[in-house]
Amino acid sequence: MKYAYFPGCKIPHHLPEYGASVEAVCKALDIELVPLEFNCCGWPVRHENELASIFSAVRNLAVAEKAGLPIFTPCKCCFGNLKYAQSRLAEDEQLSIQVESLLAQDGLALPKSMNVYHMLTILDEQVGAELLHRQTANSLEGVKVACHYGCHALRPGNVTGFDDPMAPTVFERIMHAIGAEPVDWDLRLECCGYPLRGRDDTISEALMRKKLEDAASVGADVVATACTYCQLQFDKERDGLVYSDPLRKAPPAVLVSQILGIALGLDPKALGLDMNCIPWHGPGF
Amino acid sequence: MIFFDIGLTLALSICVIGIVYRVARWSGKWTSRTPHLSSGFFLWIVRAVKAVILDVLFLARSGRTSFLRWLAHSLVFFGFMGLLLFHAMDETVTATFFPFYESTLDPWQFLRNLFGAMTLVGLALMVYRRVRSTKLRLLTHFQDWAALLIIGCILLSGFLLEASKIMSPAVFDRMTDEYFVPGEVGDLTALKAYWAHEYGVVFSVEYPRDEETLELGASLDEDSCVDCHASTATAFVSRPLATALGPVAFALNTSRADQVFWYFHVIFCFIALAALPFGKFFHPVSTPINLVARQGRRDDLEEFQPSDVLRGVGMDACTRCGECSLHCSVAPAFTVLGNQNILPSEKLVSLKQFQTGEQMSQASLTAFSEGSRICTECLRCTDLCPSGINLQDLWIASKAQITKRAPSPNDLLRKKTAAQRARVFDDLCKSSSILPAVAGLADDSASYWACVQCTTCTSVCPVVAVCEDPSRDLDLLPQQIMNLLRMGLKEETLGARMVWSCTTCYKCQEHCPQNIRVADVLYELRNTVAARVRDGGASCEGNGESL
Repeated sequence: MKYAYFPGCKIPHHLPEYGASVEAVCKALDIELVPLEFNCCGWPVRHENELASIFSAVRNLAVAEKAGLPIFTPCKCCFGNLKYAQSRLAEDEQLSIQVESLLAQDGLALPKSMNVYHMLTILDEQVGAELLHRQTANSLEGVKVACHYGCHALRPGNVTGFDDPMAPTVFERIMHAIGAEPVDWDLRLECCGYPLRGRDDTISEALMRKKLEDAASVGADVVATACTYCQLQFDKERDGLVYSDPLRKAPPAVLVSQILGIALGLDPKALGLDMNCIPWHGPGF
Repeated sequence: MIFFDIGLTLALSICVIGIVYRVARWSGKWTSRTPHLSSGFFLWIVRAVKAVILDVLFLARSGRTSFLRWLAHSLVFFGFMGLLLFHAMDETVTATFFPFYESTLDPWQFLRNLFGAMTLVGLALMVYRRVRSTKLRLLTHFQDWAALLIIGCILLSGFLLEASKIMSPAVFDRMTDEYFVPGEVGDLTALKAYWAHEYGVVFSVEYPRDEETLELGASLDEDSCVDCHASTATAFVSRPLATALGPVAFALNTSRADQVFWYFHVIFCFIALAALPFGKFFHPVSTPINLVARQGRRDDLEEFQPSDVLRGVGMDACTRCGECSLHCSVAPAFTVLGNQNILPSEKLVSLKQFQTGEQMSQASLTAFSEGSRICTECLRCTDLCPSGINLQDLWIASKAQITKRAPSPNDLLRKKTAAQRARVFDDLCKSSSILPAVAGLADDSASYWACVQCTTCTSVCPVVAVCEDPSRDLDLLPQQIMNLLRMGLKEETLGARMVWSCTTCYKCQEHCPQNIRVADVLYELRNTVAARVRDGGASCEGNGESL
């Protein structure tokens, strides 16, 4: 299994623990990640201009195609925008022509195959529950995990094709495979609120609060995330709350790669667990 | 020598005053994070020494992105430093270390040519690099060409000066008048013949080249000249240059080209000295300071927050090499939007103006603000910067400050009352932008024909759900926005907080029974306003709130 690794913009500075844990887990699972010089996925700039956003996304697809590799990304917003750009190209020929001429300036051609996968899909379809189960050295039995799906991979379902947008199961399957116990919770598919950071912090915080309180109410031990932005919200931004805020006591947010890494028996430090602001005191470490 | 003394004094004064002025502005007008410089004194020294050796002397950071750039810069750095220390400052440096120093002896003559050739080759590679890449060519401005041109002129005039001296009979005569006492008639002729043959002097008359004369010339040369003159063959650039100039040697000699080129050479050196405190010419001073202060770091950790002065040093350390912009994550946004402030190297120019309190027009502030907003803080420019500038810190520390002076559309409407918000974007001209901002869903009422106002979009919206009083807190609800658009009342929706507080979760769109692209439309509305602000936000006739 060999993929072009697309970490996205936020991992290097804002969430290096995600990069570290993804690389460690992939190494343990024999997934080869090839670093290419990608640019921004185009999601952040979509608030400013759609063409800029789509060109950014398609340029990445073209870079990956040139290298002959499918894209592997751990970020749902990156995944979502790369898929969105594809769907826009498919429905709008004029846009395709425009993007093609922009690509030509960089010596790139309009990509054809455009294979983009989110990490969860790779873990579920390529690695598979059985192998994950066999590789589990440190079973997470009894750990109640609230899987947080993240919006941009899930919806719009006809664009992203990630999982059933109304009743997804991929995340729970993976957690189940390593012995953890996924819990059912009402706000499983709701937004983390991070996209509103800097635009409307009040509502952003309200969304986070509501969601984490819901996870706490069903007795979850951790909220599992599989998206850079969601983790930034539930960990780094939550850490900005006043010290006495009870929300700090709500289940900590842990990256899917960190949970998997623990299950696979990897070193917690290599998984960047010491960098999480709201710590997880899990089993066996 | 009066010319030289006055020129040097003048250039040096401009240089010193300029440096003082520039250093005084290092502290800037920052209003953010407090500095934090950890690690003990001893460790600091060790790291600083390491940075001096690796990053300053061997330009290790330049090599990471491009071997060509590293090679070019190393050639210029070592070549020019060699010339500066051992040629320009020969009386103070070279003569101190080597008491028998004569500029026309080897190894000095050879080294001068070597250093000069290295610098010229390096400069040629730099020009090649800037011309070859279309992107870099667009980022290359006046000062970049000026720097290459001035240093290039110093080198070329230097080689021409040396070549013209080699071939000049006047210079030969001056030397023999002073140092040569002919014993017999014919001695001077023999010496001239020998020098014309061996050293490349071009006399106006042909001297005999028979073996006997040359032998006599050689022995006279041995007695009187060789103590101070190595064979000009080791001047491996100037001597061939003198030979190449052979056809015009007579004209050059009679017009005393050696004196003319001396003036050129000295004037270019003075220009370079006086230009040192300006623009990128200052980087030989500021970049090493920055590299030592950064100690090889390529990140922006909280434990190493720079002080305001170090931020100033960092901003001055830019050599405008353009590596950051060539590798910038959001460069495709620049390709589409054409706002140079999106690219790090250009945004840094604006930031410097901003922080040193220079006058900036509202249009440039708006462009700067957009550039600052579009940056995703991906750390790549900081990681790559050959000058070790902590760009990440500069971007993060300045974001809030810039927004205050040039608010984003979102910031703008948050400060308004409900009545003002309804008209907040009215007086922004309809975008004249040639870029289609969006798919055109919002303007096409057909997009909403199927809408039955069932309110599903509003009822699934998590933003609506967390609002105590959605109409009060969001101005309009999603289905109301769809309804207004259906009636062609797009202007009425642009200032609604629902548009700007959309978290882009796509639940509305996913759940819409009529497949209306609610979330995509809200993106479009934001894009519409952004395009108008980008186009200058020029005031149209209207009653709205001005930007």
